[in-house]
Amino acid sequence: MPVVSAFLVPGNPLPKLKPEVLGLGRLAAAMQRAGRALAASRPDAVLVYSTQWLAVLDQQWLTRRHSAGVHVDENWYEFGDLPYDIHVDSALAEGCVAASPGIGIHARGVDYDGFPIDSGTITAASLMEIGSEARPLVVGSNNLYHDAAITERLGALAAACADEQGKRVAIVGVGGLSGALFRTEIDLRADRIASTEDDRWNQRVLRLIESADVGELRRVIPEFSAEARADMGFKHFHWILGALKGRFVGARVHGYGPLYGSGGAVVEFTL
Amino acid sequence: MARGEIIAGFLAPHPPHLVYGENPPQNEPRSQGGWEQLRWAYERARAALDAMKPDVLLVHSPHWITSVGHHFLGVRQLSGKSVDPIFPNLFRYDFSLEVDVELAEACAEAGRKAGLVTKMMRNPNFRVDYGTITTLHMIRPQWDIPVVGISANNTPYYLNTKEGLAEMDTLGKATREAIAATGRRAVLLASNTLSHWHFHEEPAIPEDMSKEHPQTMAGYQWDMRMIELMRKGRMREVFKLLPQFIDEAFAEVKSGAFTWMHAAMQYPELSAELYGYGTVIGTGNAVMQWNLRDAGLSMLN
Repeated sequence: MPVVSAFLVPGNPLPKLKPEVLGLGRLAAAMQRAGRALAASRPDAVLVYSTQWLAVLDQQWLTRRHSAGVHVDENWYEFGDLPYDIHVDSALAEGCVAASPGIGIHARGVDYDGFPIDSGTITAASLMEIGSEARPLVVGSNNLYHDAAITERLGALAAACADEQGKRVAIVGVGGLSGALFRTEIDLRADRIASTEDDRWNQRVLRLIESADVGELRRVIPEFSAEARADMGFKHFHWILGALKGRFVGARVHGYGPLYGSGGAVVEFTL
Repeated sequence: MARGEIIAGFLAPHPPHLVYGENPPQNEPRSQGGWEQLRWAYERARAALDAMKPDVLLVHSPHWITSVGHHFLGVRQLSGKSVDPIFPNLFRYDFSLEVDVELAEACAEAGRKAGLVTKMMRNPNFRVDYGTITTLHMIRPQWDIPVVGISANNTPYYLNTKEGLAEMDTLGKATREAIAATGRRAVLLASNTLSHWHFHEEPAIPEDMSKEHPQTMAGYQWDMRMIELMRKGRMREVFKLLPQFIDEAFAEVKSGAFTWMHAAMQYPELSAELYGYGTVIGTGNAVMQWNLRDAGLSMLN
């Protein structure tokens, strides 16, 4: 099996931008721990799906071998810049582009200087120390018209392409849990999950992941999405599930907390 | 201080294809043309704008999406390379623009007093979104008029159309107040497409106009119905139908720019000049102008 580790991490950049805020610092530290676990699994590449890389035409795959620059988040610009220096396994990414029509998905590579890599990918790469030359990425976009099933097929496709190329890969789904954000400015130190109901949903889903109850997860995720505004229908979890062929034996939650009212968790899957 | 004036409002959609089709030096990709009817429409709009001699262009863009309040560009000079995340093959544009920070601050303050959450964007490394840049390039490629860039708060999507557009109405009124207070002669730009059903795959040659057509008949018919009402100045009917139009044509005016602009202009029952209509990957785009100066409605206070 080419998949050597798998993780679900939040894409909101606040843990990176404001780690001095206790709750955000804890999430940042959890992502750093997850990054160390990922490194210990010795992958040749890391297959990333970020809910914040939005696409509407085709399935886009980042194929540019090296991208570096400074990104500024369109919402959280006041807290500073997000420098990035991201290496991609372009051979594997091109393999994913080429294989996508085989599962009925029109795809294209993205190889442009200055392409706006999304905040989620940059945050995960930075805090988990992935996207280095040693641990290059393959990043797939979140096509807004793709549902959970298609996303799962894309995760499976990426893992299969890695297998064909004889590469060991780590899987990272970048996105949040409950999606309700506060609509007014808050003191970040007083951040909390927007509602008790959202918090309950998050805890329930995390327990199901910890217990590896995939059947129940598949059953409740649509409800979770509708009632707790789960980030993009929790498609980042389906990316992971696809790459894992729907199987894992447990999970460890490294961190869970609020991100301006929404929920974020750092989860390491036990394979 | 001179009295403020809202000279005109333009419906000024932002498909990056129009910049791509024009081949300006700022845009890296080269095309064989395409979307001429819309680009010629913008040529006429450019001539009209040139005659107005405004102090400032205010643009509300659906591609700067903010979740906590309504944001305003607040750095005097912004420059960089804007690459469209959806169409990076078509739009990689070197931009440099001057912001009217004083007016932007006045808009933010007036909005705050009206009960909105507003914020000034002060990060000099901020990359301006492609919607703002495309609209500004298409209407004024010389880039010699200061701008106020306004984000699209996502309330219409996060809550519902009614509450979201009510916020945009408040934002428009606050914008009017700020223009009056600062004495600017302003032109408003609503960076919105009409019907927004679109293709899901791009033609192999993006500018192959033999592949361009409305994505749906219903979307096209809605566009024609709304444009006809606008041409006749029946704006009360337009706004009465707007929620239905948004629902049935997936219209991008949901994001608020159109409502913001008309609220700032006090919803004049005024005939719009249609410069042209065309589709871009199936979406409906109209370039239109409401000229308040010619109608004697432009002076504020």
